[in-house]
Amino acid sequence: MAKMPELKSEHIWIVVTIAFLIPMLRPLNTPFPMSDVTLEIYKIVESLPEGSIVVMGGGGVFAFDIESSPGMISCIKQMARKGIKLIAVPLWSETPQFHKYVIDAARVDKDKYGGPWKYGEDYVLLPYIPGPSDEVVLDSFLRDIHKTVSIDLAGTPIDQLPLMQKVHSYKDISLWFCPHWGFVPVIRIVVAKYNITSISFAQSAAYAFFSPYMYSYPGKVYMTNGYIGGAQYEKLAGDKGLGHMVIDSYTTLSIVTVAVIILGNITMLSRMREEEK
Amino acid sequence: MISTNPWIWLSAFLSLACFSLFLGDNKAFRWAETTYTASVIGHSTVTGLLVMRDRFYPLYTGAKPILIIPLILGITVLLVVWRKYAWISSIALAVLVGVGTGMSLRTLTSSDIIANTRAVVGEATKIIRGPLTTQVGSIINIIFTISALFYFLFTLFPRGTLSKPLNYLRTLGKYALITYMGISVGNTIQQWVGTATSALYRLIVLWLGLR
Repeated sequence: MAKMPELKSEHIWIVVTIAFLIPMLRPLNTPFPMSDVTLEIYKIVESLPEGSIVVMGGGGVFAFDIESSPGMISCIKQMARKGIKLIAVPLWSETPQFHKYVIDAARVDKDKYGGPWKYGEDYVLLPYIPGPSDEVVLDSFLRDIHKTVSIDLAGTPIDQLPLMQKVHSYKDISLWFCPHWGFVPVIRIVVAKYNITSISFAQSAAYAFFSPYMYSYPGKVYMTNGYIGGAQYEKLAGDKGLGHMVIDSYTTLSIVTVAVIILGNITMLSRMREEEK
Repeated sequence: MISTNPWIWLSAFLSLACFSLFLGDNKAFRWAETTYTASVIGHSTVTGLLVMRDRFYPLYTGAKPILIIPLILGITVLLVVWRKYAWISSIALAVLVGVGTGMSLRTLTSSDIIANTRAVVGEATKIIRGPLTTQVGSIINIIFTISALFYFLFTLFPRGTLSKPLNYLRTLGKYALITYMGISVGNTIQQWVGTATSALYRLIVLWLGLR
């Protein structure tokens, strides 16, 4: 009987890399089901009247927040198309960079990309707001925005920005987005205390932990699940970005995983037979 | 077309150096690792300085003289490095921890205890209405919630006639937790696959322009 060749970990990694590269070079357009929650979120954003003020806030680590980016980028495009205003409120030190990244990737800025949004009038990037805990910062921010933050990310006093002149407290905010890991403080303060509907383009691991809050606050807390949720939102917004690419990667990687499981089992069985002989 | 942006090139070299760990520990990976660590520390320092500027801007303009209190408390935290005066820093830290914990505990009661209990009760009502799949899902949710809670709350229980059925409930609780952990691990793997795709996207599309 032919002996099964020994597989080194380097060989497996090369195969895995090829599995990742295939859909990147040639998109597979893998079909995926639409979630009712993602559809509901899309409808909520669509139903917002022009000029509504939405906050993108929370905290997380940039590397992991990338998983929240496909949904958030598509949503920013949708909001810009509908004339909705956005204020970015970062609660962790790495978050301002992420907020800049998603707005930039959506290519909605008038001066940079000829998009519909003008900085200061349609969107504002606030700096990292420190505090003893995210809950304390959120509570202070929603009670009195101008007392909590005095300047924007570039150092301009917020009183000089037209959008910030329209917003003073939680009463002026229509919706809250959290494209970060730290969704629980948002639920505890923004939803539970100030009754503002909050949506998270959650990372897969965060979804496993925090999705029960959707049952606790039905109609107030919404979460999409990782890249699949992002791809669903991209589909609704008519985009094809990172979300779609990752769904393709899941497909090719699943094939590799099944192949490795089969090979591993064949190796084990052949060795058992050899030992029996 | 290959990128002409030097930052994309730097990002590509760092990504390649990180991926080189798959071939074993090497100098390129060490370079990427130390660069990353240094960048994080540098970024935190710069952010800290900018935050100081942002937060104390109203104190500088005289709009909020009360900000002198957090400024003094902030400076006292630095005393932690002198053993003789380290006790002074504990005042500022006590304020920090006290306010944070106090606020979290207040909101935790309503969002995590009351709201979650309400959610479980609400879930119970779905057992008798709705489509069959929802009914089955609700039954599983209720059983798993009760058994998992039972496993955590009753680590010790009296021996006797009830011990056997209660032990079944504890075992079911263990299975509920294992199921939850399995789902969490699966979702975490999905996250890593996505992160790797995003990194390779930077290399293939943004750097080499192959798509």
